[in-house]
Amino acid sequence: MIMFCRPALITLLLIGLSGCTTSQVTSPTLYQRLGGEAGVHDIVTDFLINVADDPRIVGYFAHTNIDYLAGSLAQYFCDISDGPCTYQGPSMALAHQHMGLTDASFNALVDNLQKALMAQDIDMGARNALLGRLAPQYSDVMRDQ
Amino acid sequence: MMSKRKAGRLLIGICWLLTQPQAWAGSRLAGTGGVMQIEGASGGGLSPWGMLTGTASEGEAGVTVGSTRADTSDYHLVVSGVAANLYDRVELSYAHQRLALDTLGGHQTQEVYGAKLRLFGDVLYRPWGVWSLGVQHKQLVEGQALARAVGARETQGNDLYIAGSKLFFDAIAGRNLLVNTTLRSTKANQSGLLGFGGDEGSHRELMFEGSVGLFIDPSWVVGVEYRQKPDNLRFAREDDWHDLYVAWLIQKNVSLTGALLDLGSIAGLEHQRGGYLSLQLSL
Repeated sequence: MIMFCRPALITLLLIGLSGCTTSQVTSPTLYQRLGGEAGVHDIVTDFLINVADDPRIVGYFAHTNIDYLAGSLAQYFCDISDGPCTYQGPSMALAHQHMGLTDASFNALVDNLQKALMAQDIDMGARNALLGRLAPQYSDVMRDQ
Repeated sequence: MMSKRKAGRLLIGICWLLTQPQAWAGSRLAGTGGVMQIEGASGGGLSPWGMLTGTASEGEAGVTVGSTRADTSDYHLVVSGVAANLYDRVELSYAHQRLALDTLGGHQTQEVYGAKLRLFGDVLYRPWGVWSLGVQHKQLVEGQALARAVGARETQGNDLYIAGSKLFFDAIAGRNLLVNTTLRSTKANQSGLLGFGGDEGSHRELMFEGSVGLFIDPSWVVGVEYRQKPDNLRFAREDDWHDLYVAWLIQKNVSLTGALLDLGSIAGLEHQRGGYLSLQLSL
């Protein structure tokens, strides 16, 4: 890096700029890669449509206020993807306790999310990064079943 | 014997099932069951992995059938296998292996009965991945005389192994990386095809097996495998196995795996390199 920086630094100084470090471009947050507020909204909508169409798990949502869930999920995804939100809802353990979830239903949920991410053309890196941040939540979600 | 009409109906039924993914598929995500390894267990090509076959999860069951052919300079191996996954807790498998000695003449046939118990974990969701304990009971059913002639002590044996697998999301260039390690206690010579134990060692030894695979996209995996082997026979050196593989997940329940093999020296014939092709279907 030093080898690379030195000629670059000299060049930059010659043209009156201040050096290596300031020339770095900040990489976008995962939230931005997911399409920001509009992108996350579309992902959540598509995800919930998939869930509603999935006979394996739709029953779990029979008494759920879907509008509230959609808002809460969007806030959660925004928070977990380093977006400008703070998730205000209940913990994952509390939100799912005593629902009678099984590994099979958890898998079905992930499957529906993955389909939504693909349908929304989220690039593979961002898709995998989001799934990677959500996957460890399994332990909390399944804590009290 | 089944009548033609019944057979026709069965065929139509199977075809219908194949077009109805929800009718048979387990709920685990595509690719989380690995492929069928040469001894019938779910894994890579050479080693058993921590996950159980197919995509069955809690409360689900599934069956996988696989067919494999490997060709090297002086041998070819044909394997047919079947494995069942019960509730993602227990895997039972059977593999029939026929090794043709193309240069030396003749063939060896081995049957492998396997059982794998998932101890804990999940390949995607748990920080330590999924870990299983397995046993493979192997019996040479043809070629016992050759195995004894080259110095093997026995013509049947049991391998015990513990295997762990973990997928790391977004690991390399945004892609997911699958890592597997296996520790196997074995006496088998060339996986048992040349018998068990020998004049240079008749005790169990602990062997390391490992692999990594990168999901280039959701349906293509590229990786390398390594399987350490014992060296029990004085008459011929036994080498560790290596391969470079590509697995194509054609659908959630159908996969095709190709590999370039380097199996080293087998029964005195050096540099056994070649190709490997394996098709599997999970129901």
